[in-house]
Amino acid sequence: MKNGKMKSLAWMLPLLFFCATVPEVTAHHGNSAYDEQARVSIKGIVTEFVWTNPHSQIYLDVKEKNGKTVNWGVETNSPAILTRAGWTSRSIKPGDEITIILCPAKNGAPVAYAGSGDAGTKVIFSNGKELDFQDKTTK
Amino acid sequence: MQTLLVRSIGIVAAMMFSVPAMPQAAATRFDAHDLSGVWQLAPGGGGQGPGDSFPPLTPWGQAKYEANKPGYGPRAAPGGNDPILKCDPIGFPRILFQIWPFEIIQIPGRILMFFEGQHTIREIWMDGRKLPADPEATWYGYSVGKWEGDTLVVESTGFNDKTWLGAQGQPHSNEMRTIERYRRVDPATIQFNLTIVDPKAYTKTWEAEPRLIKPRPGVEIIESFCVASEEEEFARRIRQPAAQQTGK
Repeated sequence: MKNGKMKSLAWMLPLLFFCATVPEVTAHHGNSAYDEQARVSIKGIVTEFVWTNPHSQIYLDVKEKNGKTVNWGVETNSPAILTRAGWTSRSIKPGDEITIILCPAKNGAPVAYAGSGDAGTKVIFSNGKELDFQDKTTK
Repeated sequence: MQTLLVRSIGIVAAMMFSVPAMPQAAATRFDAHDLSGVWQLAPGGGGQGPGDSFPPLTPWGQAKYEANKPGYGPRAAPGGNDPILKCDPIGFPRILFQIWPFEIIQIPGRILMFFEGQHTIREIWMDGRKLPADPEATWYGYSVGKWEGDTLVVESTGFNDKTWLGAQGQPHSNEMRTIERYRRVDPATIQFNLTIVDPKAYTKTWEAEPRLIKPRPGVEIIESFCVASEEEEFARRIRQPAAQQTGK
């Protein structure tokens, strides 16, 4: 039991470290509905990846602490910006298990932002592969 | 000993100054009147608009400013009525301050600016014509340009008043005139200055914060329309739930 708790704390350590560095994180997205100073991690199974202009969207089923499954909607960049960050419309598929580091909505709704406007936001796949939103075409 | 030292310094200095001279000269050779290529506004002040600070508004401008509810800047609030949220044309000059690349295409009699954002083309007439005296109001206005030395000077008029100048909700009227100045100072830099003259909305001429435009080598313009039906669906599923005032 004690060991299990330690394990879960250890899992959170990188996240805690990240939160500690938050004041240096730039917030440029400019949508005041999201808490751009916060970075929160959610994990779930992808239900939809919507590749549309000007906002692509990732939807995933997240199992909450109370056992209930909630479908989260995550706003991200346009296909052009995602393309330059190394994404394709097939980067995420329904059924994929992913973790997203995101900026949550201030009102607590299960919607969030993860994209080029807020450094540190990214998608982590179950095999450890990561995709962020930063432009790879700039030197 | 001293002579040897002086001579060594002389040789080293001669090497330092003479060796790089050739490649440098080659690297700085460019045609200041050739702006063709893919470019992007360098990061800087202005908050997706001509500047965070602006001249005092007229009463007409103030009323319009207060009616604009931005999602950015000191008056930012969830929701808002930024016209681009409905995929209205971004319009001019706001499109110049977006985060997307744009391509300058020079053809006889015209310069075209092809913006990735909203997949929009803007025409600048370079054939010596004058601005029309009484143009119909449009989202991008009517633009004529000419070279003054190495500076491309573009004057525009004929705008409708439906667009914002920047994401903070800075208004303008249909009497707005703009003057842009583009000067390519080296292969990788265009200096950009914008003057906004709109006495109906502002009590003074607005000189936007000077900005730099940088090349985007290897980048191609990707189709980026704002698709109203898709944006509406996005708003229903994400933007509106995020902006709702809940007790939670």
